[in-house]
Amino acid sequence: MLAAGLIAALSPIAATGQSMTPMRGEVRSFTDAFAVRVFPGNPYNQRIRVEVHVYDQDFQPVAARITPSAFLLAGQASRPVLVVVPFDGANERKVRICTESIPFPSEQTQIRAQICGKFFGHRRF
Amino acid sequence: MKFARAAMAAGLLAACASQTASAATGNVLFNGTITATCTITINSNGTMTVSSNLQSLSSHNAGGSAGSAQVDTTGGVSLSVDPVTTTTVPASDTTATTWTPTFATSGAQTIAETGTATALTVPGTSTVAVNLAGTKSGTNRFSAGNYQATVTLRCE
Repeated sequence: MLAAGLIAALSPIAATGQSMTPMRGEVRSFTDAFAVRVFPGNPYNQRIRVEVHVYDQDFQPVAARITPSAFLLAGQASRPVLVVVPFDGANERKVRICTESIPFPSEQTQIRAQICGKFFGHRRF
Repeated sequence: MKFARAAMAAGLLAACASQTASAATGNVLFNGTITATCTITINSNGTMTVSSNLQSLSSHNAGGSAGSAQVDTTGGVSLSVDPVTTTTVPASDTTATTWTPTFATSGAQTIAETGTATALTVPGTSTVAVNLAGTKSGTNRFSAGNYQATVTLRCE
């Protein structure tokens, strides 16, 4: 229902080996939310667990609809993830959409890789 | 009659021979847009060791090692580390620890060790060394047991 009223101005091409694409975007929407499709990628040769999160400019979590928000991704693969961000009454909203993965658990100092894209949604009436 | 036909054919040939073939040329344009991209590949995690005064648990200490990651980018992004929020400490360690993550890069772009966000402007592959140091102050000391911390390396 909501998705039907959205204008997704981004149409990236998925590329193998990219952790997330696109990393920048500007979207115009005629509804109370805007949608972005991102493509998390797995640069490793083995399967990893990927999580997608949405944050505001201060890195506070945003209640966005992420489909899917967590999934297993095969090595050298990427897949589309649809993120629907509510304007929450504002006319525009800047968010970060971040792809996170932890490929090597059980060691003393783990490094969590996080790729964040910056997206700007404008509301049109 | 035959003569008239031959004369007409010859006339047509002469008319055609005087015409030059016209060749048209056109340009085909190609456009391409590369948006900012960034790929982080974790090569290895790090190891921390404790100092002789038991107040520093760091990958910089003797026997410790930095974590390693590879960043491939088009440029136009920034690299940063988040404050450490996820740690596991032994039950016997009840005192406060200050965790300081830092990173440095070499390769396509060299960045001296820092804890603040830094722009990656040079396209290519850079190797990132991620270090983590935990410190205790006053009379507090690290105790025996397993410590684990997660550093978030962000490209945005």
